[in-house]
Amino acid sequence: MKTSPTTAHETGKPSAKLRSRQKSLLREMWKQRAAYLFLLPKMILFIAFIVLPVIWAFVISFQEFGIFESEWVGIDNYVATFQNEAFMIALWNTLKYTLVTVPVSILLALTLATLIHPLGRISQSFFRGAFYLPTVTSMVIIAMVWRWVYNYRFGLFNYFLSFFNIPAQDWLNQSDTALWALIIMSILIPPGVGIIMYLAAMGSIPESLYEAAKIDGAGSFQRWWQITVPLLKPTTLYLTMLSLIGSFQVFTQVILMTGGGPGDATETLVHLIYKTGFRDLEFGLASAQAIVLFVITLIFGLIQYRLLYRKSED
Amino acid sequence: MKFMKTVALVTVMAVAGAGLAGCSEKTEKETETANWTGKIVIWDGPRWEDPSKNKYHWLEAQAKAFESSHQGVTVEIVQVPWAELNDKLGVSIAGKAWPDIAPIDISGNGVNPTFIKQKVVEPLDDYFTADDKKDFYENALEAYTQDGKMYGVPAAMTVHSMLLNLDVFKERNVEPPKDGQWTWEEFVDSMKKLTYDKDGDGTTDVYGMSTYIKNGYYEAWPFLYMDGGRPLSEDGTKFTFDSKEATDAMKKLADLKAVEKVAPKEMGSGDVGGTWKAFSAQKSVAVEPWATWAISAAAKANMNNVMVASYPTGKSGKPVTIGGVGGWMMFAQEDKGKKKVLADFMKQLSNTDNQVLSAKNYGTFPSRKSAMDQKPFEGNIPMQQAQKLTEQAVMVPKHANWKKIDEAIQKELQLVLNGEKAPDAAMADAKKTVDGLLK
Repeated sequence: MKTSPTTAHETGKPSAKLRSRQKSLLREMWKQRAAYLFLLPKMILFIAFIVLPVIWAFVISFQEFGIFESEWVGIDNYVATFQNEAFMIALWNTLKYTLVTVPVSILLALTLATLIHPLGRISQSFFRGAFYLPTVTSMVIIAMVWRWVYNYRFGLFNYFLSFFNIPAQDWLNQSDTALWALIIMSILIPPGVGIIMYLAAMGSIPESLYEAAKIDGAGSFQRWWQITVPLLKPTTLYLTMLSLIGSFQVFTQVILMTGGGPGDATETLVHLIYKTGFRDLEFGLASAQAIVLFVITLIFGLIQYRLLYRKSED
Repeated sequence: MKFMKTVALVTVMAVAGAGLAGCSEKTEKETETANWTGKIVIWDGPRWEDPSKNKYHWLEAQAKAFESSHQGVTVEIVQVPWAELNDKLGVSIAGKAWPDIAPIDISGNGVNPTFIKQKVVEPLDDYFTADDKKDFYENALEAYTQDGKMYGVPAAMTVHSMLLNLDVFKERNVEPPKDGQWTWEEFVDSMKKLTYDKDGDGTTDVYGMSTYIKNGYYEAWPFLYMDGGRPLSEDGTKFTFDSKEATDAMKKLADLKAVEKVAPKEMGSGDVGGTWKAFSAQKSVAVEPWATWAISAAAKANMNNVMVASYPTGKSGKPVTIGGVGGWMMFAQEDKGKKKVLADFMKQLSNTDNQVLSAKNYGTFPSRKSAMDQKPFEGNIPMQQAQKLTEQAVMVPKHANWKKIDEAIQKELQLVLNGEKAPDAAMADAKKTVDGLLK
């Protein structure tokens, strides 16, 4: 015997069960109308500036899009994206950048938060502020400072290397060092958001757990490893996702510090999309590249979510 | 009932649409004949400064004069650094929020063919008669012409030349090239003598030569032309920078840094500002190739002992350089009346008097014969020296995909000058990309 949803599908009318679910959802929304009303302005902005452009980009990705006239080209832009050697190089560079910066910055945030957490209130506030400050500084300013840090003649990096008799490097202008220079810069910018979130999460771990572990003879590292780290997994999951998305979208430092060069050494996906869209005015191709980036980020995000979420449930 | 509602809605919309269409037709006809009034938005980069260090004073004065002669018209100036001009234009085009008039960078190679392909730049032939055009040099007009249509007004021209800091030449007791001409061997010999350890700490402080490599900029390219190499065949159908003439020249240029050690490690990077600073402020490089704007910029940087020379002559037996044309383009307009007003403003900006002013203050060559007839470089020896180089100038190839072709070549050139790739291998890689773009 067929179930009611199948019957509903066949007749084209919603089943009684579905109708009642919809009604109860609407009733619930009506009950919480004040909350939804407060959310409304943000949701309107979100739809206008995020959802609609994404849908529009998806539509454009199937067109040879012109300013005044466009033509449907099916999946040609996607085919061109995967056949484009520059896209593959940019993808590989972005992956390298992400695979190094995401784990290192998460680990750094966790370590720094662990060191700050036991401090007194005033010291904690000081370090919170100090580490969060670079987060509110424009990446443009940070990139300009780091250009000086990496300067071949006057840079801080080469100055330090000179103490160890290591020859000066032209960090941003050599293929083998340029991407690493950007990676090192990203790592050395304090992960302010991560530190603040870890500190907040650490504050909510019950003290009794540590006391019990102490009575059982656990050392400080064991307590950190067995209690703190597992209980911070939801925060780690959130930060990893956030960091992953940010890393896949690395752009400002690339355009300001290397322009994707030398050669293709620091070409990244968003920089390539920017060039395709705004320099070459190939909006269809750029949209296809952006959709591919979206799918790649989604896949990586899902993999991470599955791995970390399952572990945190265990 | 539903059907009736739909019919009613469609009818109302059709009537309203027809009404609106009628209105717009009427508006266009009216503005065609009437004098247009409203606001003009013009972008410009910094030019020469006035005593208060304002680098936009010339355009501000022009805007004021135009507003007085065109009652009801106001001009809004948007200041854009030259290095950001193309990016900003691209973004504004994507958002359909382009300016009415924008400058064309003199260091580039004319109107961006992508803009023409996307129909965001207006052809100007309706506003410039054959008589108007007669006053412009042919090569200046040619740079802005595509498929027989004129897509911009040439307002100035430039050539790339070698700027020599004669103070360093004097300090090192090196004779500058006679009449500004030197062979490659003479050039290398001079560069060796100019490279030295100034403070005796065992490291080189002053280098003979440096330059940069960046998409859309061609200061280094005349070196690659010196043995007869060219990026594309004359008909623009074949990539020819992989010829022996071109790759040999590339090797010679790269060897200045790798073998002769007369160029700093930074030579070949994309750092335009750093390269200029090394020459004008730090004085750590004695010779650099630049477009002619750098002549007046050097004077303003208190470099009063500067000489202009040709690029060294290679196997081709003739010095060669690359020229550029700067000017104005009009972006897509709906209103014919406004187009006429914009064209009037562009004519004013590129008239004889303004070209003379630019030549005297901004280190550019006029694109109008009438402006050159006024001898704007009297008493300005470096500009007179540079003017001689115009006879050696060739233009960057014109091709619809030139931006991408240029990028494919320039990024390989960076690797060659870094010593990371041999010229043959680099140009073989560039060819793979360029061949696809030439099809």
